[in-house]
Amino acid sequence: MPAMSAIPGPPTSDTLPRPTAPAPSVISGFGPSTLEPQPAERRPLLWIGWRRRAMVSVALLGCLGVFLLARWLAGTPHLDTQWSSNARGQLTLLHSPLPELQGFQGRTLVAIGSATAESTALPVDAALLHRSPRWQVNDAARARQTTQNEGLSQLLATGAVRLQFDDGTAVTVPAQLRSYAGLGLMFWPLAGLAWLLLLVAGVVMLARPDLRNGLFMLMSLCQAGNLLFIALETLRGLGLPEGTILADLNLRLALDACTGAALLHAFALHPHRLPQARHIAAVTWVGVLLALALLHAGVLTPVWWWAQGLCLALGVGALAVISLSYRQEPNPFAVVMRRLLLIALATLVLVTAAVAASARVPAVAHGVAVAASVAWYLFLASLLLLTPFLARSRQLLREFAMLAGITTVAASVDLLFVAVFSFGPFTSLAVAVFAALAVYAGARQFILDHMLGRTLLTTERTFDHLYRAAREVQARPQRHPQVLAQLLRDLFEPLELNRVDRVPARSRVLGGGSALVVPLQAAGDDAPLTAALQLRYAQRGQRLFTHDDARLADRVVEQLRRAMAYDQAVERGRHEERQRLAQDLHDDIGARLLTLMYQAPNPELEDYIRHTLQDLKTLTRGLAASEHRLSHAAAEWKADLSQRLSAAQAQLGWACSFDSDLLLSVVQWSALTRVLRELVSNSLYHGNATRIDVSLQFEGESLRLIVADDGKGRTPLAWAHGLGLGGVRKRVKLLGGQVVWRENEPRGIVCEVRVDSFQPPQ
Amino acid sequence: MAVKVLILEDNPVARSFLCRVVRESFSDAILLTEAGDLETARKHILLTGGSQGLHGVDPFKLILVDLELPDGNGMELLAELTHYPATKIVTTLYSDDDHLFPALQCGADGYLLKEDRFEVLVEELQKIVRGQPPLSPAIARRLLTHFRSGSGGATDSQAPDSGFAPAAFTTSKPIPIEKQLDHERLTPRESEVLTYLSKGFTIKEIASLMGIKWFTVNDHIKSIYKKLNVSSRAEAAVLASKQGLV
Repeated sequence: MPAMSAIPGPPTSDTLPRPTAPAPSVISGFGPSTLEPQPAERRPLLWIGWRRRAMVSVALLGCLGVFLLARWLAGTPHLDTQWSSNARGQLTLLHSPLPELQGFQGRTLVAIGSATAESTALPVDAALLHRSPRWQVNDAARARQTTQNEGLSQLLATGAVRLQFDDGTAVTVPAQLRSYAGLGLMFWPLAGLAWLLLLVAGVVMLARPDLRNGLFMLMSLCQAGNLLFIALETLRGLGLPEGTILADLNLRLALDACTGAALLHAFALHPHRLPQARHIAAVTWVGVLLALALLHAGVLTPVWWWAQGLCLALGVGALAVISLSYRQEPNPFAVVMRRLLLIALATLVLVTAAVAASARVPAVAHGVAVAASVAWYLFLASLLLLTPFLARSRQLLREFAMLAGITTVAASVDLLFVAVFSFGPFTSLAVAVFAALAVYAGARQFILDHMLGRTLLTTERTFDHLYRAAREVQARPQRHPQVLAQLLRDLFEPLELNRVDRVPARSRVLGGGSALVVPLQAAGDDAPLTAALQLRYAQRGQRLFTHDDARLADRVVEQLRRAMAYDQAVERGRHEERQRLAQDLHDDIGARLLTLMYQAPNPELEDYIRHTLQDLKTLTRGLAASEHRLSHAAAEWKADLSQRLSAAQAQLGWACSFDSDLLLSVVQWSALTRVLRELVSNSLYHGNATRIDVSLQFEGESLRLIVADDGKGRTPLAWAHGLGLGGVRKRVKLLGGQVVWRENEPRGIVCEVRVDSFQPPQ
Repeated sequence: MAVKVLILEDNPVARSFLCRVVRESFSDAILLTEAGDLETARKHILLTGGSQGLHGVDPFKLILVDLELPDGNGMELLAELTHYPATKIVTTLYSDDDHLFPALQCGADGYLLKEDRFEVLVEELQKIVRGQPPLSPAIARRLLTHFRSGSGGATDSQAPDSGFAPAAFTTSKPIPIEKQLDHERLTPRESEVLTYLSKGFTIKEIASLMGIKWFTVNDHIKSIYKKLNVSSRAEAAVLASKQGLV
């Protein structure tokens, strides 16, 4: 196959995803030359799965089919000539390498006949160049085209054909066998595309053999058939194998109609099975078969209009079905499909309009009909190739969109140039490829946006979200799961977000892009993955998740984890620093105070220093520990007070109640500790109390501490505000509360500390 | 014969203060030995039969150990003296569980807070010697988590640094593991006592709450101390070695 080397390869297998078992070996090349050695090289002795084996056989059978077709065509007779149609719709010889036709350039052909019997001459005109009756608008023109083409084929089959020109000259030209080189440039790419469609159909069907995939396979095979017909009809020279043109109309009508019907049927089943799917399918298929039968019988005329109408009707029906499906279940697959279908329908309408409009101008009618129909089928084939890989990877999709776009535009422009401007094949191909690249570069973003759904989130916004989430996780590591969920919600705007127990090691796209599962890592470096978040229907059901999204989610999770690790490291550092400070204070100042206390000249000074020492200890403990639980602190206060009071021969009444065991900040803890100590000291040493009742209540957000004694203290308003009371006031103010002293009945003092909004530490 | 007491304290003023406390606490004749650092203390202990105290003619009956010493941490000595037949008391300025708990794990029979009044210290010391060691709520909480975390000594201690454990074992008598497992479980009563203590209840309150005598509560506390010592010995050895290294 010499032409193989000139064909640009499809996306290389590196960019392809691996999940579906047969995929890598399948879409690795157009021809058997690249396919055959692969399985043998990669897995020489390993067991090959039945799917892989089946896939390889499908690929080989496809190659064999294409090769046999080429071989058969190479053996059919043709006239190696190039013609153009003039303004009157007649054929003019442009060029021919045949020695018999040298000197006839520019003459107009009027009839063809048998080399032996002149009487059976068949008048011919430009209709002889028209290959596909399926895309002939005019019924009369189609009949003429069929007659002339079939007549030529029959004449060629006899071995020679006599050409009569308008100047009365006639020449007998022997029919030559078309060699492989005579197949023309377009044959191989089209056959290759058909082969690719067969492969994708095989992949999909083998991956999960069910009705939906069967319908997809039917569509793909129908379009593969269409492409082969087109390949057949772009053969170089004059004359096609006998019967081709006769079979073309009915077969291609059937292929088109089956594609449409299968599409409609498939959308009734996927992504959401409609309750009335059975009825829809039955009505569709019966209608299509009926229409085909009527078309075949010639009841429905003009045929082309009916055929286009049928295709459009099926398309609109499919659109209605997919819209209904989306309304019942907002799967983004439906949205993407609806979008693709809309584009396809618009293209079909455009193609139909273009062909219908150009039919009135005979000079361009044929060119436009061929170019438009080929463009349409190429486009449809690209869409079919694309569909199974929608959620695989954005990269792949991009490549694919580019390939499909370039192929479509290039082919159509090429055919247009050949038909309208009568360019040579190479010139037109080169111009066409450049034009296609230019058009694609301009329309690329538009195509991507419309195939993938809008990517609303700009990089800037993503960064902003990520930054804020990281800050929040740093501030409150325990909120990590909620923050992550919120972040993913902002990033992907899923319709549903829930926790699932099946935890993948990395983020994964499930359900053909409708769901994304992100593992949720608990705080800590090596904490096990305990749960996962499942996001369904990205962009409020407008978009499919891709592998890129999964990688993005992974990176987001990683960033948050890093933010937390950083925060923990900072906190650890701060903790160590505080502890060192506390240790130094304690060891140096504490030891000195202790020495001083032992050497105190009188008990008052000793008590004063002891008090200072205790304050120092509270301070250093506050530094060393970051937070205290209220219940723990209360237990310590009680134990401490019990000991002190029993040493002072006094009784302690302790009542403590709280509705939530909040965490006290260092400030709160040390303030409360010192207030309590100070109040009790006052009662003991200034009031000489024999009983002290302490009541600590925490309800809602308000904290109330009451210390009541039966000492000799009276008239608190008249007290001089010494160091002790000032300290109490200061600390209560620090907590954001008030403190009042009043007389207790029958004797003593009550001190009440009230903090209305006792906030837990931030 | 006089009761031998070792006081290990680097601050001379505090040392003489503690001497006064000890003298005040006991009616027996007291033979006080003072040490200002670990090295001196070790020498004195060697004179009375070494750290095992097995061949000692006349070992110390009471040892007061300060935690912060110029040449190391008092816990090192405690860890060496796990089998020494004396009442070992930690004297410290630190009253928080972070400092006291490891000391108790090292085998201390109780602790005295140095900033307490003279009378309080005398009373506390007497209590410890009588077998009524103090137990603050924070330490009770630590004890609860220590024993609740189950297999304590055997796995806990060796997990962080298994390379240390055998070396540490060779310096002291090998500990039979099965016996250790028997010891380190708390009885339900002991757990109950610990729970009440962790909530700040006094011994008397606990006694009335549980419907037992206060000295029974004390017995439970004593038993908890013992179990802690036994279950933590390996851990304590590792801990002490580490403290010494720092």
